[in-house]
Amino acid sequence: MQISMFNQTFELPSDVLAAWIFTIIAGGFVLLYVIKKKKLPLIWDYIRTTNHRKIGTLYILFGVVYFLRAGLDAVFIRLQLAFPDQSFWVFQQEKYNEVFTTHGTIMIFFSAMPILLGLMNVAVPLQIGARDLAFPFLNAVGFWLFFFGALFFNLAFFVNQAPSIGWTGYAPYSLNEYTPGVSTDYYVFGIQLSGLGTIFTALNLIVTIFRHRAPGMKLTRMPLFTWASLITSYLILIAFSVLAVALYLLMFDRLFGTAFFSGSEGDPVYWQHLFWIFGHPEVYILALPAFGIFSDIIPTFSSKRIFGYPTMVVSLALIGFLGFTVWAHHMFTVGLGPMANTFFALTTMTIAVPTGIKVFNWLFTIRGGLLRMTAPMLFALGFIPSFVMGGVTGVMLSVSAADFQFHDSHFVVAHFHYVIIASTIFGIFGGIYYWYPKITGYRLNEKLGKWHFWLFLIGFHLTFLPMHISGLQGMPRRVYTYGADEGLTGLNFTSTIGAFVMGAAVSIFLWNIVITHRRGVTVGADPWNGRTLEWTVDSPSPEHSFDPMPVVDQMDPFWYAKQEKRQLAICANPRPAPPDEQSMIPISMGLSLFVLAAALTYSLYWLAIAGGVGIFVLMAIRSWTDRTIIEEEEEA
Amino acid sequence: MVLKRFTLVPVLLMLAGCNITVLNPKSATGKDQAFLIWFSFGLMLIVLLVVFFLFFRFVATYRYTDKKANFIPEDVHGNKWLELTWTILPILLLIVLAVPTVAITYNQSPISEVLKKDEAVQIEVEAQQYQWTFTHEGGKTSNQALVIPEGKTIRLQLKSKDVIHSFWVPALGGKVDVMPHKDLYYEIKNPEVGTYHGKCAEYCGLEHAKMIFTAKVVTEEAYEQYVKE
Ligand code: HEM
Ligand SMILES: [Cu+2]
Ligand SMILES: [Cu+2]
Repeated sequence: MQISMFNQTFELPSDVLAAWIFTIIAGGFVLLYVIKKKKLPLIWDYIRTTNHRKIGTLYILFGVVYFLRAGLDAVFIRLQLAFPDQSFWVFQQEKYNEVFTTHGTIMIFFSAMPILLGLMNVAVPLQIGARDLAFPFLNAVGFWLFFFGALFFNLAFFVNQAPSIGWTGYAPYSLNEYTPGVSTDYYVFGIQLSGLGTIFTALNLIVTIFRHRAPGMKLTRMPLFTWASLITSYLILIAFSVLAVALYLLMFDRLFGTAFFSGSEGDPVYWQHLFWIFGHPEVYILALPAFGIFSDIIPTFSSKRIFGYPTMVVSLALIGFLGFTVWAHHMFTVGLGPMANTFFALTTMTIAVPTGIKVFNWLFTIRGGLLRMTAPMLFALGFIPSFVMGGVTGVMLSVSAADFQFHDSHFVVAHFHYVIIASTIFGIFGGIYYWYPKITGYRLNEKLGKWHFWLFLIGFHLTFLPMHISGLQGMPRRVYTYGADEGLTGLNFTSTIGAFVMGAAVSIFLWNIVITHRRGVTVGADPWNGRTLEWTVDSPSPEHSFDPMPVVDQMDPFWYAKQEKRQLAICANPRPAPPDEQSMIPISMGLSLFVLAAALTYSLYWLAIAGGVGIFVLMAIRSWTDRTIIEEEEEA
Repeated sequence: MVLKRFTLVPVLLMLAGCNITVLNPKSATGKDQAFLIWFSFGLMLIVLLVVFFLFFRFVATYRYTDKKANFIPEDVHGNKWLELTWTILPILLLIVLAVPTVAITYNQSPISEVLKKDEAVQIEVEAQQYQWTFTHEGGKTSNQALVIPEGKTIRLQLKSKDVIHSFWVPALGGKVDVMPHKDLYYEIKNPEVGTYHGKCAEYCGLEHAKMIFTAKVVTEEAYEQYVKE
């Protein structure tokens, strides 16, 4: 369809049109709901909030929305690949390339990452007895940067400019010469904005964990989810800085005529190095928090402390550190030579050791316990065998000479979905079921939770197990079709069925949320018979938590206090809580950077300058009106 | 039920192994790689089976039943010896895997200067968005159809005219990227007669999926004939 506007004609393909119609209708319903239920004051409150639970909720909410969008992309991918020489709707050629790019990018940056950050926001302060993150204002800024980055990236599709460079954005294909137009710029700026927010949040978590623990909460008594969040934050700090640099260079190449990744001085392989120095740690940024969630869920529902706590912490740190030494295993075929290839093959293999230690420690936590099969526990248990299946193919991929066959085939697609879905997505679902009472005061329906789990598990294996074989059968990734004579038909069709089973599972999850809120049965502070401090505060967690402040005398303090039928000791004069406030500045900062990004994308430099000035003005206003500084000065 | 599904996996893989392209290679290069794939798979199967065995045993034994309603598990802090066991055994396993990995990686990485002198059949591969051009010694060129002689070492010299592509004939061996800024080399040793699918394995744009070719391995006489035509 063609549309004429502002003296220009736009091509509007039917999928984009459908998205507009859907969004307008859905938006209408949401608006109606908001007005009818008088939710506007609530939204107004959340827009200005700096409270960790509320920001965590926002992260999770938008992460789930984007999970649905990227999940829909996945369904389109699978429908297009269901049969050989298939033409499903518009999803061939350019549209297929767009849909796998947006699927991958959104899943990683705008769904998995924000939901994990959301869970950290909710749970970390409560686990260590902090009343909020160390810098609540910065926390809000971080969230709004993610929000506007994700919004920017997603808008591309609505103007039919979705990027099509793969989530890895390899040069020289991502340079102006091969992808002229604005689509790639949406990728560059969308990720850059939200990545900046992620760095802020990582800093915030590090300071919070070091400075705001309850009295007696030594590092060696900290819950493993908090440990995982701490180590992940360090990984984010390094990895996302590298990504920011890579994206800046790409931006300069695209907009201002530099040649870092092309020409006689530049080199497209530089992009690959930078991208994977970010990209490999990124998979641990996704996995470690999930490991942390499981390390809390498994002891809780086994009624038994974690097996080998010190080893669990050390192996987390080791995985994090080794994660920076393996990036070129993504580049075995780019001609780095046998020396580099064997080096990176061996470092990659070593990561299997700390990972294996964790798996066995989880297994021996279960051993001798009393396993309560709740929804969070099911996800934690389902994670173990599924994740190990992804782990062993990871070791197979590290065998550099064999990787010449695996590389860029569907075998790799199978491998990374096995690791990411089994760890991150199972962890997210498990974590949401587990902490839902702390977020909302309600507990999600257990029966639907079980249906959700089993369907998701079955669908997941059905989708991705066949891909190992289709990869070895010679199916490259990122192809929109294959021939009928290649022996790929049955495998692909099975995958497509699996994707629908997963879709059904996710629908059950959504339904579960709806009926849980409709029934509105609240639960108390400790619905799971928990072990750690978050279960001592009310559900949902109050804005002034830990009043009075408990004193921690050992690991899992709440559990042991309950065992010994005593109360946790109380500290009379705890550290002052971080200042809580309401402010429009964070969202305005996000908006200014959004304007800056949009203006640069469309080369409207006056507007870009306005956006940049806006940011500095907001910073100045903040500096002059910052209550914390003013109060300190008054005291002095 | 779950247990059954998981144990089916390796069985299925074994059965399917008979006709999966990469596991049924038609060159010495591909055979070395298939050996590594099987070897690593076998080692990993050990790990997988141990984990699955423990997992299903523990879950079955220790799950909650109403009989155990008042049971409070004993607290176990850890066990140095057990933890050492599952640190050291995997390391040994990985050393076993590392040896052939290093050996075959070195063996399969061509070093350009040495190669110039030997007896290999030289073929230049030039990729550009959505097509392949193969140039043989003596200057014969062809598009989308690579013809090579059986039983020889084939040395490919690859370069791209635009973006990065990747040359892959799954039946004959692994892939190698085709870079715009420098030539890469790859060797396929001792291919067997047959016609095989060839693909571009690095995403390169609109018609990446259709950037395919055929690789035909013919007898030496037929090859001489072909090059002269
Ligand atoms: C929910 C069910 C999912 C299905 C059915 C699915 C399916 C797929 C398929 C078939 C591809 C390969 C496309 C191609 O190479 O042509 C793909 C790529 C990818 N998926 Fe998923 N996926 C799912 C969930 C996820 C999740 C949860 C994540 C990460 C959090 C994820 C991350 C990726 C990434 C990074 C790529 C690579 C994109 C690229 O090649 O640039 N996927 N997915
Ligand atoms: Cu990696
Ligand atoms: Cu290609």
